[in-house]
Amino acid sequence: METAVKRMYEGLFLVDTAIAAADWDLVCETINRILDKAEAEVVSFRKWDERKLTYDIGKVSRGTYILVYFNCDPLRVNEIERDVQLSETLLRVMILRTDRMTQDDIEKATPLMVAEKQAEEEAAQAAAEAAEAEKARAAEAPETGSDSDVNVTDESQESQEGHQAGDAENTASPEDPQQH
Amino acid sequence: MKTTRRPTSSRRKRTLMTIREQTQCRFCRDGKNYIDYKDLETISKLVTNRGKIFSRKRSGNCAGCQRKVKRAIKRARFMALLPYTT
Repeated sequence: METAVKRMYEGLFLVDTAIAAADWDLVCETINRILDKAEAEVVSFRKWDERKLTYDIGKVSRGTYILVYFNCDPLRVNEIERDVQLSETLLRVMILRTDRMTQDDIEKATPLMVAEKQAEEEAAQAAAEAAEAEKARAAEAPETGSDSDVNVTDESQESQEGHQAGDAENTASPEDPQQH
Repeated sequence: MKTTRRPTSSRRKRTLMTIREQTQCRFCRDGKNYIDYKDLETISKLVTNRGKIFSRKRSGNCAGCQRKVKRAIKRARFMALLPYTT
């Protein structure tokens, strides 16, 4: 008996980063082929994160995670899991029903997106700071005749501070009790 | 004597009050029904640095939420997001 009702599922696929970096299209294609075979309709497909695995799987130590939401016949989910196990490009998959998840859980920003956003913000901040510094320099320039002397003293002070901070860290670290 | 007793009793009352304020576990307070295994920020707080799951007594979770946490941690371990042991 076939059930016509499809359910929404969340699948997290794990791929070796070396393969994903070398041939991203191949990875996408294999996942899509497996899902198509099970007559699943893909709702969203995105890279979740790229990170070091907490333990080696086979000889793989870095993995790329791909998060896919799809509508599928409940009886054919096993098929997808079996195909992933037989596949050579995909390492693992976790397929979960989404009926207990909220919309926020489903649409939550991936760690990759968060990292990108942070990097962008930092870049913007750095650019703003640089612009401000330039403005300040431009404002100071007509008042002080010799700019070069001021800059040199600033740099020497900074370098001294840096050395002191480094020393403090070095002395502090051996005293820290080791935590278990 | 009275002057010495008063502060201790009031302190006791205050501690009792602060303990009573948290009658629900951290997930019940937020009204969460589902604990995501991909949300490593919350899950890694419920695991020792050797990868063991904290007891209910330590984490303060209710029985239901502890089961959900257990499931989430075991899923994360399977996907190599958390260690089985270190």
